[in-house]
Amino acid sequence: MISELLYIISKYGPLLLEGLKTTFIITLISYFIGFVGGISIAITRTFLHKALKVFAHIYVELFRGTPMLVQLFFVYYALPEMGIRFDPILSSIIAIGLNSAAYQSEYIRSALSSIPYAEIEAAYSIGLTRFGAMLYIALPQAVRIAIPTLTNEAIYLFKYSSIAYFVTAPELMYMGKLVATQTFLYVEVYTVLAIIYVIFSIVLSGIARYIEKKLQIPGYIV
Amino acid sequence: MRDKLLIVEDLWKFIDGKPILRGVAFEINEGETKVILGPSGAGKSTLLRCINLLVMPDKGKIIFDGEDILGKHDIHSVRSKIGFVFQHFNLFSHMTALENVMFGLIKVKKMSKNEAEKKAKGALAAVGITEELWDKYPAQLSGGQQQRVAIARALAMEPKLILFDEPTSALDPELIWEVLNVMERLAKARMTMIVVTHEIGFAMRVADEVMFLDNGVILEKGAPEQVILNPRNERVKRFMDRMKYVYSIGKGNVY
Repeated sequence: MISELLYIISKYGPLLLEGLKTTFIITLISYFIGFVGGISIAITRTFLHKALKVFAHIYVELFRGTPMLVQLFFVYYALPEMGIRFDPILSSIIAIGLNSAAYQSEYIRSALSSIPYAEIEAAYSIGLTRFGAMLYIALPQAVRIAIPTLTNEAIYLFKYSSIAYFVTAPELMYMGKLVATQTFLYVEVYTVLAIIYVIFSIVLSGIARYIEKKLQIPGYIV
Repeated sequence: MRDKLLIVEDLWKFIDGKPILRGVAFEINEGETKVILGPSGAGKSTLLRCINLLVMPDKGKIIFDGEDILGKHDIHSVRSKIGFVFQHFNLFSHMTALENVMFGLIKVKKMSKNEAEKKAKGALAAVGITEELWDKYPAQLSGGQQQRVAIARALAMEPKLILFDEPTSALDPELIWEVLNVMERLAKARMTMIVVTHEIGFAMRVADEVMFLDNGVILEKGAPEQVILNPRNERVKRFMDRMKYVYSIGKGNVY
């Protein structure tokens, strides 16, 4: 077992690393899309005009209510029939990013609603607009509160980016499967994959804890 | 008539169909300090919030600095000219004391950072917040310090009027003193102020006029000695007797 593990790492390590790189690209970009999209949706649903609110709500329900895999297949297989074509990696980034935006918007929205209205009122009282109060007072505090759940989402995306395998994006899972079918060492290959996923999940949560500490407001207990 | 800074006429406010303010009317001159007394639920906070449009009145007129502000579209510029000090301070918890004061100067008054910092430091010094506290966050300050920062935040905006909504109700006695002391100095410097408070000692010493609000109606107004010590209205008299008992002023008859 050990020698097989070492064999896989030494012989196919570069290939798996290549896959890991793609996994990171998909995770990071889709997470970023999800973060920016999530903040916009959350702000829309908390502070903005009624019609926009309804639209944002429908978006969230739609993307939360359907499996991510269906969304991915829709982007990769259905959109080309309408003449919109993306390569596997880009399809994955789009599908996962849009899906994540729905979830992240909910995390930020709940954090926004936990900001004391008193502080928003204080911002109004010195002449700030609704948008200004939201941007400078509510949002910076909401993001701090949401860090643990947003970290969760990052780890979740890192693992679930493996569904990109189904549209042949050459990410970690795809490479693993490739190696496994070539070597027939299924146990060993998937053990290596599991270890890689665990290690980087732990690294991610470590980074998040660091950010959380950095952003912590002295004397303030959430 | 320029010295009439604020004229409130027949002000009504309903919340969930219930009348909170019922035809409140009063005026305040520039440089005056007005104290509003009254029981909880009388509409005191709502009245203050109506004056700077945090709450929109349903009926009536508010003329501030010669302008009917209820018809105005730019409520933000009106608010920037009226300071508001809250019962629970409401400092921005993710900003230091200094940043709290600078914030409005930069975002509303569009000052440069340097200018705002200079001005903010001046305002903090004026309320006795010394240099070692400037970089502290609200959660690291005592209630009295937080409230003084909040006063500095209002003061730095150079408002024409400051509204105080029970500024000392959340403080213990020693801290009440430090906040009232700052307010008294402001009054002496002829800042125009409307103060909702239960501190009748402060009202006696500082107020030019005291108004008693109950059930959304001004029951009595006049010089502090008159309203507090010799009220004409039965309801006001009962309230003041109890206040005098609590604050051990004179001999209050407690029914």
